[in-house]
Amino acid sequence: MTWSDLVARLASVVSAIMNVVAGPVLIYFLVINTSLLVLMCLAGWEFQRHHRRKSYAGTEQAVASQLGQGVTVVVPCYNEEVVIVTAVQALLALRFSCHEVVVVDDGSTDTTFEQLRGAFDLVPLSREVPPDLATRGALIDVHVPRDGRTRLVLVRKENSGRSDTINVGINAATESLVVFIDADSILEPDALISVTKPFADDPTRVVATGGVIRAVNGCKIVNGRMVEVRLAKPWLVRIQVVEYLRAFMLGRSGWSRFGALILISGAFGMFRRDVLVEVGGLDPDSIGEDFELVMRIHRYMIDNGRDYRVKFVAEPVSWTEVPVTVKVLRSQRRRWHRGLWETLWKYRGMLLNPRYGRVGLVAIPYYWTFELIAPFLELAGFVLVALGFVLGVVNTPYALMFLAVAYGYATLVTLVAMAIEELSFHRYSRWRDLGAILMASVLENLGYRQATAWWRLEGWWASLRGKKPVWGTMTRQGFDDSPALAEPDPVTR
Amino acid sequence: MLAPYRSSLIAMVSGEDDDGQAQAALRALPEPIWVRLRPSVVAFLAKVRGIPADHLSQLMRAHGEVEEAHTMLTSRSAVRRAFAAYLLGLVRDPAAVTPLLPLLSDHDADVRREAAWALGAIGDPVAAGPVLDGLRRHHGQIGVPAWVVAEALLAMGVEIGPVLQLGLASEDAAVRNVCATVAGQGTYLSAAPQLRVLLATDGDGDVRASSAVTLGRVGGVGDTAILVRHTQACEPSALRRICATALGDLGQPESLGALAALLGDDDRRLAELAADSLVRLGPKGIAQLESPAAGPEGLSARAAVGALELAGLRGQLSVGADAA
Repeated sequence: MTWSDLVARLASVVSAIMNVVAGPVLIYFLVINTSLLVLMCLAGWEFQRHHRRKSYAGTEQAVASQLGQGVTVVVPCYNEEVVIVTAVQALLALRFSCHEVVVVDDGSTDTTFEQLRGAFDLVPLSREVPPDLATRGALIDVHVPRDGRTRLVLVRKENSGRSDTINVGINAATESLVVFIDADSILEPDALISVTKPFADDPTRVVATGGVIRAVNGCKIVNGRMVEVRLAKPWLVRIQVVEYLRAFMLGRSGWSRFGALILISGAFGMFRRDVLVEVGGLDPDSIGEDFELVMRIHRYMIDNGRDYRVKFVAEPVSWTEVPVTVKVLRSQRRRWHRGLWETLWKYRGMLLNPRYGRVGLVAIPYYWTFELIAPFLELAGFVLVALGFVLGVVNTPYALMFLAVAYGYATLVTLVAMAIEELSFHRYSRWRDLGAILMASVLENLGYRQATAWWRLEGWWASLRGKKPVWGTMTRQGFDDSPALAEPDPVTR
Repeated sequence: MLAPYRSSLIAMVSGEDDDGQAQAALRALPEPIWVRLRPSVVAFLAKVRGIPADHLSQLMRAHGEVEEAHTMLTSRSAVRRAFAAYLLGLVRDPAAVTPLLPLLSDHDADVRREAAWALGAIGDPVAAGPVLDGLRRHHGQIGVPAWVVAEALLAMGVEIGPVLQLGLASEDAAVRNVCATVAGQGTYLSAAPQLRVLLATDGDGDVRASSAVTLGRVGGVGDTAILVRHTQACEPSALRRICATALGDLGQPESLGALAALLGDDDRRLAELAADSLVRLGPKGIAQLESPAAGPEGLSARAAVGALELAGLRGQLSVGADAA
């Protein structure tokens, strides 16, 4: 077989495939981008309402109200000696009428405990941690500040992973609401006020709220507080900033507005403690534990005929580092997509099940169609069109139409999202940052989307092959003048 | 443009306008300047109380803002209706009660909430029933946020007692929950009989919990036995724990034995809360902890030791000893 025969055969194969998928591929991208646009509009509506009532919403009055509930801030930590003291000080200083901080040390091998003991004058306490949730890591001891009044509790345990560590924190929590926060996250001073307000508004029905997570890279942080919001220089980070704004803030706001929010980020989610205990807490075996938890809550509440709400708060509340290297980003995206697949598969019984209302009929099918399968279709479409174009099977008008619908429309949606975000919150005050964000919205389509799509497929494939899930290493850059912090990688994290 | 008037406004807000000169100067402001100053006046009005608030309200009236707000209550714009309600609440205009009541069923959630808040700020108990009704669902969404209703009812004073009793008998769990909470915060003793029934029979766990908390605050000696009964193992874990805490709030020595018995319960949080309640009961309660703490290792000993250690850190043991 000559080269030209091979090319001709390949062309005929591609042509046959394109005859079948050309139309559906275009329709798919048209629908996915339009659905994103709809979510953006819903989010924009929500933001507009939010700002309209800002002058008289009385958020702080809500928390000071008789119906205001106390909050336990659970901080799982492993080898966080560089940031832990600053983080706990910042958490204790959060503006809120009634909150405690429970730090759960997941068997750190560095000086995390000594740092905390020295800074807060901790003394051991013969206090039990009730086993409301089954946990794996054996408890070592409990410490509290010597004054007995500072609302800080340190629980030490053997290393058993983040989810199990959080479950220990839930057990130790004494307030009715629980929020999980990583030690290296930076919270807005009013974060707890913002995120508890839905609970004060509707205390018998709201069971969980999520807050906006933003990328902290490049921002100026002093003593655990955000001082100036800036955009980091690496384009890899800038593109992730755009992603976070579009998907995490606007996307989830839209789902919340629609009444079918099924994902609350593990970096900042608040839950009723009793509901967490009822559903069994976080699943230590799940790699997408935050998604899995919210799905379990939905199923549990609906199966038990409970009237409930899961809400998303549009106010920026938490800032966290995003990966700065391709290696770490790849690992993160593989893990996320694997978690998405495993959770969707675990709860496949809810898919298109009318019993689960909007969650079962809209949100879960959306995640199957436009989150899980998207990377496969995106890559397949891209390769087919590119190959077909080279082989002369795909004509120029179709190729242009594909680019316009798949990438041009996506860029437009992103630009709309950025406009809504900027008009609503205006957190990036420097013009050059705004310019860089707009540029990142365009550059995202040139390699980044394709790469992340590939990594997501890798994660899915690893799960299908039954490979053991790995959390991977998140290399921290640290804040300000704090030394760079590289988090060792325990087996279970 | 506003710089010359800022000192007058600050004098009014800080209560230093004894001779009324500052108010007179601000009353005489021409319309264009007043429009610019108004947001500051409204912002201050939300922050001050007493005579400065009265003076700011008079200033608002002098500039026709209250009349304007009454007109805006029927505006087609939900933003205007909400702001008008808010303003009338800020100036505590008693004449606004009647026109505000229909807004409790406005189609816009912000308008409903501001109307309820304003009625609470005005404090006329006539509005208690409609405000409580505002809590009911409105097209699938909560009518008025629960905290707004609770605060409004509390601001209306003791005359809302009958409305609370009606609310405690409501079919809506959210209404019962708010009424139970308000009864505790406002010390409405007349609600106690209904709270006992709700604690024993209500189908909603939150309502039972709120009833228990409130009984801990407003109940009497007779409620000790009721709360103790709900710490028994057949009750839901969350309710048992709340009742153990409520027994500490109630502060009756009759609960000493029951709380001491809970120290050995398999529910370790319940044991911990029972131990904390014993500490709060004073020297007699602490004495109940000392004997198991000195005894052999076991569940009771662990709970007692933990509570005593914490009480020691807080300096509660020496206080208890002194009192003894």
